[in-house]
Amino acid sequence: MGKLLSNPKLLVIAIAAVAVLLVSVAGGALGASFGLGFLGGPIPFISVPAEQVASIGGYPLLNSTIMFWVGGLALLFVAWRAGRKPKDVPSGWQNLMEMIYEFFSNTVDGVAGGTPKAGRRFLLLITTIFLVVMIINWVGILPGVGSIGKIESIEQWVQHHAESIEEEVHADHPDYSDEQVEALALVHLLEEHGTEPFVAFDGAIVPLGRGEQARVPLNKIISFISDDLHHIEEAVEHGDDLSHLEALENIHQDIEAGVVKSSFIYNEGESNAKTYDFTGQTAGLLIPYLRGASTDINTTLAIALVAMVTVQLWGFKALGFKGYSGKFLVNPITKGPIATFIGLLEGFGEITRTISFAFRLFGNMFAGEILLIAMAFLLPLIGIIPFMGLELFVGVIQAYIFAMLTLVFGVMAVASHGDHDSHAEDH
Amino acid sequence: MDALGITLQQLLTQLVSFLILFFALYKLAYGPIMGMLDSRAEKIKASLEAAETASLEAASSAEKVEAEIASARIEGQKVIAEARDAAARLREQEQGRAREEVETMLERARTEIGREKDAAVEEVRKEFAGLAIAAAEKIVEGSLDAKSHSSLIDKVLEEGLSERKN
Repeated sequence: MGKLLSNPKLLVIAIAAVAVLLVSVAGGALGASFGLGFLGGPIPFISVPAEQVASIGGYPLLNSTIMFWVGGLALLFVAWRAGRKPKDVPSGWQNLMEMIYEFFSNTVDGVAGGTPKAGRRFLLLITTIFLVVMIINWVGILPGVGSIGKIESIEQWVQHHAESIEEEVHADHPDYSDEQVEALALVHLLEEHGTEPFVAFDGAIVPLGRGEQARVPLNKIISFISDDLHHIEEAVEHGDDLSHLEALENIHQDIEAGVVKSSFIYNEGESNAKTYDFTGQTAGLLIPYLRGASTDINTTLAIALVAMVTVQLWGFKALGFKGYSGKFLVNPITKGPIATFIGLLEGFGEITRTISFAFRLFGNMFAGEILLIAMAFLLPLIGIIPFMGLELFVGVIQAYIFAMLTLVFGVMAVASHGDHDSHAEDH
Repeated sequence: MDALGITLQQLLTQLVSFLILFFALYKLAYGPIMGMLDSRAEKIKASLEAAETASLEAASSAEKVEAEIASARIEGQKVIAEARDAAARLREQEQGRAREEVETMLERARTEIGREKDAAVEEVRKEFAGLAIAAAEKIVEGSLDAKSHSSLIDKVLEEGLSERKN
């Protein structure tokens, strides 16, 4: 130890590391409780659905689609470099692609029966699933993904969320006029999301150093009391004229302004309660421009659908229509009702597999994203480093699991019933 | 559904996106790489086969070479043996011829010697006859003088000897 400290270079590095750690701890969530927290940003609003960032001719472009194609183009670039001029003695990208290809070629053959080329029909889809899932997992954790974006104002947020509620209200009360529906939906929205936190910020960028206290609940932006809501509800029910209702007008004004109206108490009722005053500052939500494609359930569900539909096609191709559908539809008279039940369960299993595929990948990657956010919040600067490595690892593992499960299901699908029977006799 | 954000529009978007990506990947990477791998596998197979045939050929040619070497060795040994035989035969022939020659030479020498001897004996006989006659003549001449008897013989012998010397 003494020897270690006597080396001036090492000493400087050690001191720097300790300093960074101290700054990180003090600047993070822990320091925020002691009045520091100068590096903390507000915890981003975590939205399970992917957010829309643009609209191209009425088509909503989601941030996860962008990241899907960022990863996809990176993959295509590698593929193009690898397959451009294939040489007998491979080098560079070609070597990499060949390595992956050969690895899966051997794995697939091994799982599918151990003879060369036994798994040729599975190979391309398995390799593609692995490559695509891995690359979208990896590009999804790049710095900047999920943290750079535009601000959705209160007005946009209300519009966005009121739409679905309006539809519900309209379905419940088809006799209401548009105005009535709108007002009632607004009431429901405020009742439901009244305490939902928004970020108070000065301009385009949410500044560092305010920690979680920069999050303002919605009812401090749109000032209303429950009496107001009841009042509006009653007015709607009685069919009163809504255009001159003072409470509704106030709410509309507040929504349009979208600024923090009053100070609020953070952690109200607890020992560390604190009053914050962001009156006059703009409030909104961060809509990231980029979002890892595998943190969007649509992507994982789409790949799962491709995988499971292809598994069924393999089954039909290998066993014929009658042979494969015979796995799920068993005659109860000749084979007995239990076999029929098991067959139906197996058919149901194909659907649950699709869903479990989609949620396994989505859950892992979404959790990873949140983990990174949480670490950036708890230990700014350094906390994220080991977890980035972990997430890179998880990205490969999940891609491998996805590919291998598809392969196993495929091999199960092409195995005929005769195989099972003979196995049963063996035991 | 709403809370999760599942919308048909977004679902279809992602579905179509995935399928587009799949076909683009197929066109860009899988197709060329599959073709590449297949052609490479074929190439490797072909070269392995070629190597096998080459090694077989090498083995067979090695065998052939060995057999040839063995046959050459046998042939060489045969040639050597033949040569040795021929040499032995030749030597024997030569020896025989030499012996014969020597014998004929000896024979010739013997007959020559015989002839010489005969001639010499003849000459000696002739000489002795003459000498005897001469001696007899002298004896007869000097029979009167006993004293001179011996001197006579000596004289004859002397004459004979000096005559022989000449």
